[in-house]
Amino acid sequence: MNATASEMLLVNEPPPPPPPAEPVAADPVPAGIETVGRITVDQPRMTSRNVSVMYGDKMGIEDVNLDIGKNEVLAMIGPSGCGKSTFLRCLNRMNDTVDVCRVTGTIRLDGEDVHDPRLDVVQLRARVGMVFQKPNPFPKSIYDNVAYGPRIHGLAEGRRETDAIVQRSLEKAGLWNEVRDRLEQPGTGLSGGQQQRLCIARAIAVSPEVILMDEPCSALDPIATARIEELIDELRENYTIVIVTHSMQQAARVSQRTAYFHLGRLIEVGETSQIFTNPRHDLTEDYITGRFG
Amino acid sequence: MKHTSARQAPRNAEEHTFKRFDQELAHLNRIVLRMGGLVEDQIAKAMSALRDADLDTARNVVARDHVVNFLDVQADEQIVNLLALRQPVGKDLRMILSLGKTVTDLERIGDEAERIARMTIDIYSSSNPPPDARLLSDAFRMSTLATRMLHDVLDALARLDVEKAIQVARGDVELDSEFQAALRRLSTYIMEDARNVGHTINVTFIVKSLERIGDHSKNIAEYVVFLVKGKDVRHVSPESIDTGELGR
Amino acid sequence: MDTSIHTSEAMVRRRAKRRAAERRFRAYGATAVALAIAALGALFASIIGNGYTAFQQTYIELEITYDPETLGLGEARDAAALSAANYPGVVKKAMRETFPEVTGRRAKRRLYGIVSSGASFILRERVLADPGLVGETRRVWVPADDDVDMLVKGHIDRDAPEAERRVKDDQIAWITRLERAGRIEKRFNTTFFTAGDSREPELAGVRGAAAGSFFTLLVTLALSFPIGVAAAVYLEEFAPTNRLTDLIEVNINNLAAVPSIIFGLLGLAVFINFFGLPRSAPLVGGLVLTLMTLPTIIIASRAALKSVPPSIREAALGMGASKMQTITHHVLPLAMPGMLTGTIIGMAQALGETAPLLMIGMVAFIVDVPGGLLDPSTALPVQIFLWADSPERAFIERTSAAIMVLLAFLITMNALAVVLRRRFERRW
Repeated sequence: MNATASEMLLVNEPPPPPPPAEPVAADPVPAGIETVGRITVDQPRMTSRNVSVMYGDKMGIEDVNLDIGKNEVLAMIGPSGCGKSTFLRCLNRMNDTVDVCRVTGTIRLDGEDVHDPRLDVVQLRARVGMVFQKPNPFPKSIYDNVAYGPRIHGLAEGRRETDAIVQRSLEKAGLWNEVRDRLEQPGTGLSGGQQQRLCIARAIAVSPEVILMDEPCSALDPIATARIEELIDELRENYTIVIVTHSMQQAARVSQRTAYFHLGRLIEVGETSQIFTNPRHDLTEDYITGRFG
Repeated sequence: MKHTSARQAPRNAEEHTFKRFDQELAHLNRIVLRMGGLVEDQIAKAMSALRDADLDTARNVVARDHVVNFLDVQADEQIVNLLALRQPVGKDLRMILSLGKTVTDLERIGDEAERIARMTIDIYSSSNPPPDARLLSDAFRMSTLATRMLHDVLDALARLDVEKAIQVARGDVELDSEFQAALRRLSTYIMEDARNVGHTINVTFIVKSLERIGDHSKNIAEYVVFLVKGKDVRHVSPESIDTGELGR
Repeated sequence: MDTSIHTSEAMVRRRAKRRAAERRFRAYGATAVALAIAALGALFASIIGNGYTAFQQTYIELEITYDPETLGLGEARDAAALSAANYPGVVKKAMRETFPEVTGRRAKRRLYGIVSSGASFILRERVLADPGLVGETRRVWVPADDDVDMLVKGHIDRDAPEAERRVKDDQIAWITRLERAGRIEKRFNTTFFTAGDSREPELAGVRGAAAGSFFTLLVTLALSFPIGVAAAVYLEEFAPTNRLTDLIEVNINNLAAVPSIIFGLLGLAVFINFFGLPRSAPLVGGLVLTLMTLPTIIIASRAALKSVPPSIREAALGMGASKMQTITHHVLPLAMPGMLTGTIIGMAQALGETAPLLMIGMVAFIVDVPGGLLDPSTALPVQIFLWADSPERAFIERTSAAIMVLLAFLITMNALAVVLRRRFERRW
């Protein structure tokens, strides 16, 4: 609660006292600021406490506390470089692949610490799938793309089981009817939106609990985007979805909760309807109304 | 219009990255405040016509109501455009919604001013002798209260002043009790002299209109609170509206 | 009147100037390309012009009588006796019979000199293949001596003063007679492709050198490809970025620039003197060339690995593939065309390399075609070097011919690289 600042922004007494000129985008968030809003949920799937990421000696994100509920879509928004993608990649330890990246704090998946040395990162990534910004199907056939995960994790025995998984995954991703006759064609030959749905099918083929999406529609046209958004809404029934997006409208459309990041800190989190009608932090307000960013 | 010139359009501390959005919001604000000034003037003119038995002014007020309606239409158009083209969220969304509702209430206030003017014309153009000052004193007392409420709430809207808006909302109680008292007094006039019935009915309509103006002002005050605080304080008793509870 | 500044006269002039500058710029480039093509054309024209005649060889038809007496066989017909028989005598006798008027030792020697000393080997082979020939008379085409070959091909001027040419007047007369009789013929020079080196140009061939090069490259490929790819994969995918890996990287880049003769010295010191491997062996040559080729392959392979889009790695890792699965299932298949191209180009470099091989003794005069990795052998570029050094006129054309063979190999390898890249390159 920084009531004084907000009062100053919203109430202009005549003659207006010159408001302290705060170029918000440039100034760092004052240290020790706390996240506005309720970070916890009743049925958490993942929890993160005091998660900080350092890139070398540069702070990526700092002290992020956030719960992700079961079967909810959590949207993470914020200006470029605010750390939302960094936090997303902490959730399935994709940051491990970056040498200089150091993650501290606790992240739990169903109560299990994801950094527990006994927990295999391979297993974690099977449970926490990921869909990337640019559709990145393997340069293999559509079938092999979807079957790859089940094969490496030994989820399917024999051709028949694999076939079933491939079909089910493609159906869930809303792609089956479009590709059923050309499963042997390369996945890279599909259109952008189809490729992205193929990537989603590939991710759900290993039956994850959580699906992370890093700006999944940024390379797609509005119709393809709408189909992905509809798909996200359908998938919510069975999966927990965390989506990073630059489109605030998209966050508003698909998510139940929204988290706003700014300069490596989680500024505010709340019900999406609240964030978009009545954000409680000025930075959130300024960002979603297009006053900077 | 001189009331509005003293006021500033509600202003955001920071501007939108996309400047035209700001200009369009400012334009909407100007329309609303102009409308506010206009209906304030309409009420003042209607009441002065009642006091001075000035039928010309009263007719002017009636004629000028279409300007209020025109501004109402204009404001609605601007709102539709803003919603469709800018997809406002957060503060912007609340502002546009609040201004939209304010416009409706202002239009009603304009209608009430027109009704007062029509009653004035009725009162003074009938064959009966003009009513004595006692009969009208309640109307003037109430008009002072209602005019102040409207003025204050427009001020609060212009400055996004929540404190003032809450004061206005509370002030409505006073106006309501004044209205009840006026009704009781007016009924005694009828009991005193049955010939007063015609005037008393007209005056009853006038005080009813003034009471409605208070209600509309209170509504606007609530929109101001919603605009600034994001809390809907309608259908909440004014006593329980406490700035401290409103979050932030 | 249009007032736009873009239509003013000054602007029109400026545009004209700009267009002229652009045309000039294009002309420079076109000139550069033309020069390069001209240089290449001149090189090829010179080599082919000098060398194409080497693919033909002059043969002389002799009427050979396999007389057991002249052969010195007596009654013996066993292989050892047949092998040791006096075939040169038979050849000489045939020559004497052809030109019975020739007398005097010097004249006779000149007469015998018309036919290559290899003729007797041909006769021996025939007799060994069919001992029944002994006692029979056959017409046999035998290679002419290299000087005669040069004369017939027109490289020696018949009108020059006798003292200035290697073929004497009487020899020319005999050859003219043989030509008139249709007993001199130019045939396709199979010897050049089937024989090893020889002091006699008409008997010398590139097969020994080609085999040496083949074995050397086999060793190089077998060692440098797996080592190079493994090193590249480690450096690119696993190695942490720190001082040590930086140092390694710098050193690999420097190693690619080290003069190749240094590698030869290294090979001499380490493989031959320290490990005691045999001199002149393809194995040692292969080891040395491996050292030389490795940096090229590592650098090319790393570039190929780098060019695999990170999104593919992320996709695989995000699916829960392990690092090794990611590399073997996705990264390596995508990088393979680049790696293969790099390897083939490295191999082509190694194929053309002479200097390091000189240091490890592959420059020796070796007649036998090597049959294995430890047999003494030479390599194609070294063979070219040796022949270029030889005084005989016939070796000049053979040098060019050998260069053509080497170029053919190189072009084939480069074409293979292009084909592999086309074939395996995948779009993503």
